[in-house]
Amino acid sequence: MGQGRLLTLAGIAALWVAVVLYQLISLQVFHHQYYVQLARSHQEVSLEVPAPRGTIFDRSGQTLAMSVPTASVYVNPLKLPDLGVAADLLSRVLHLDRTELLASLKEAYDDHRGYLLIKRHIDFQEAEIVRGLAFDWIGVQHESQRHYPKGGLAAHVLGGVDFSETGTSGVERALDADLHGVPGQMRLLTDVKGRGIDSQLSSPARPGTSITLTIDERIQFETERDLQASVIEHHAATGSAVVMNPMNGEVLAMASYPTYDPNQPPQGDDLKRINHAVSLPFEPGSVFKVITLSAALETTKLRPDSPINCHGGVFKLPGRVIHDSHLGLGVIPMADVLARSSNSGAVEIGSHVGAENLYKYVRRFGFGQKTGIELKEENRGRVWPFNKWRKTSWASVSMGQEVGVTTLQLAQAASVVANGGFLIHPHLVLMKGGKPVPVAPPVRVLTPENAILMRTMMEGVVVLPYGTGKRARLDGYSVGGKTGSAQIFDTLTKHYTHSYNGTFMGFAPLTNPALVVVVTLNGTHGEGGFGGVVAAPVFHDVATEALRVMEVPRDLPDAKPATEVTTADNADDDLADADQSDADNILLAAADEADVPETLLAGPPGPTVPNFRGMNMRAVLAEAAQKGLTILPTGSGIARLQYPPPGTLLHEGERIRVQFVR
Amino acid sequence: MSHAAPAPAEHTRIHAARDPHLLRPLPGEDLGIEFKTIDNSRLVRQPDPQARGACWSAIGATALAVMLLTGVLGPRLANTLAGYKLEALRAENRRLIDERRTLDLQEAELTSPQRLEQLAQHQNMVVPQSNQVVHLNGKGDATVAMIH
Repeated sequence: MGQGRLLTLAGIAALWVAVVLYQLISLQVFHHQYYVQLARSHQEVSLEVPAPRGTIFDRSGQTLAMSVPTASVYVNPLKLPDLGVAADLLSRVLHLDRTELLASLKEAYDDHRGYLLIKRHIDFQEAEIVRGLAFDWIGVQHESQRHYPKGGLAAHVLGGVDFSETGTSGVERALDADLHGVPGQMRLLTDVKGRGIDSQLSSPARPGTSITLTIDERIQFETERDLQASVIEHHAATGSAVVMNPMNGEVLAMASYPTYDPNQPPQGDDLKRINHAVSLPFEPGSVFKVITLSAALETTKLRPDSPINCHGGVFKLPGRVIHDSHLGLGVIPMADVLARSSNSGAVEIGSHVGAENLYKYVRRFGFGQKTGIELKEENRGRVWPFNKWRKTSWASVSMGQEVGVTTLQLAQAASVVANGGFLIHPHLVLMKGGKPVPVAPPVRVLTPENAILMRTMMEGVVVLPYGTGKRARLDGYSVGGKTGSAQIFDTLTKHYTHSYNGTFMGFAPLTNPALVVVVTLNGTHGEGGFGGVVAAPVFHDVATEALRVMEVPRDLPDAKPATEVTTADNADDDLADADQSDADNILLAAADEADVPETLLAGPPGPTVPNFRGMNMRAVLAEAAQKGLTILPTGSGIARLQYPPPGTLLHEGERIRVQFVR
Repeated sequence: MSHAAPAPAEHTRIHAARDPHLLRPLPGEDLGIEFKTIDNSRLVRQPDPQARGACWSAIGATALAVMLLTGVLGPRLANTLAGYKLEALRAENRRLIDERRTLDLQEAELTSPQRLEQLAQHQNMVVPQSNQVVHLNGKGDATVAMIH
């Protein structure tokens, strides 16, 4: 009997062991995955690993745009114990209006919404306070906010982002794919109190690539400031300026006015958002004569000394007549056509070039096509296809009409002359993620010899006393440039107005150009609105500062020698200046300031003008004294330019101006 | 030669002739209790060698079990505690990285050209003219002379 009981007990024990064993196997083998998942769902939290948007730097490493992490507060209205209490609490903690907050909470509650964003981009203190509340109906979510610490500096270049940090304009938009980070995922093992025990990355975060621009913060600031001052002073509508390295196409500054602060983008004000340097083409006017003369050097036998018949300032074409703003210009050297900005002279040169060659070189200089700069807002400008040119389009184009160009395209064209004849590609991005960005190779447009000749002629625009770009002269640096004053065409009335696009396009120093600066003011008025008056001074200020920042060595002495007679001391210059201001001669063609040649004011003819080019000042003065000639020297060094040109009959009382350069 | 076990003595009980009119005796009525003093002062417990061994075995087994348990659970416990510290450090790292970005932003704002311009104007500083800027070209021997 005892054995029976023992056996029974053993059987029960064995049965119990079997059941336990079965449960063990069932839990740990058959239902393993299920319970592992269940445990994970309770213990593990899936978190997003933020990936900040890439930072944008200037070329010297200054931060122009960066993202910082912020937090936003949200509530679950359905879990709120009391709307009024919640509104009271949140309004105090987050400094919100209680009445508005309560209304929002009530609306969300009535709509049965389980999520309501209370406040975005709160600071750390507020976030800590909210987390400390530890209510189940309130939460803090991590976000990122884009900041532009330099305010409005380079606003049009940088652009902006929307609420989801997606680029909407400028570099932010053009390089959004590089700048945009990809957040990762992380699994965090937590204890019963929610504290992290272990974490594991499911997918790593990929931060956005940092971008280094070619922009120099200091030059950009100076350019924006000077441009703004000039636009306001001359009551212009808008303005734009580009500073560029002509050798490699690096854009050192790009300014557009009016401007804005990307931290507080304007709502509904589209004019401020427009980048006038790349987005709005305009008729350039006289600055385009650089292209015409360059084409002439390349395709004809015309040289800077070649005589050009200006037809007394009146050029007759089939169906139209082109007038100069200054009547009476006869035959003058081609260099003077540029210095005096003669429309009829430019048309005469254009006739030598021919329509087809002119079109070819307009395209070769990059007009009518995008430069390829990293801005999606860039406009390619306007150049009629050759098969749509009218009979006199070549004449218009020779003077800078019937073409639409942007400020950046003008800078690109000026660079061709400045760098020895290569068309470079303007670009804004220097490095991506610390690695240099390759640049497309340049394309030769002009021969080196013709580029140097063009540089010399553009220097005459600035240094010659009758040059239209005198206000662009720099202390200590040689300068070459061209002014332009194009009347604005009113598309509604289909007439040219008396408002101008005043432009100055120049580079310095002449011997080894370090920078190209193009300044355009749109909507200037009257004689005070010409390019030489409104844009050349901006070039002067911007170039002076930029050359100082770039530590470019001077190529001219700062102080003028005592033996020199400056143009300011010459009584004849007063007459020349007066002639420059005759606004009532402005016609449809590009207007520009110039003076009446002294040959028309002098007395009977005298001796022939000698050739002083290549001689030093001592030799020039000695020869002039020997021949009884009066010299007006400017500068120092070797004689580079002279007017009247060699071989010209000198009238009694007429003086010879000679420009010396080191 | 085996001897058969003696026959057990018969228990006899001498009873007087029972008076049928008397009540039956109570159980144990005829029994007497005799107290006997037992002196165990000279009683000595004999040591059990097997018990000692079993005791030590139990102690050893327990110690081994504790060690095994510690060896198995100890690293896990240390792991968990280290995990707490590690996660706390990671969270602190993330917080410091975020704080550093905020400070970088503040630094960039403080060095903005517009602010520097205002500070310069406040201190009556002006941009030097081009002829006021002199670039010094250092000579190697001068540097060596300074070192010596």
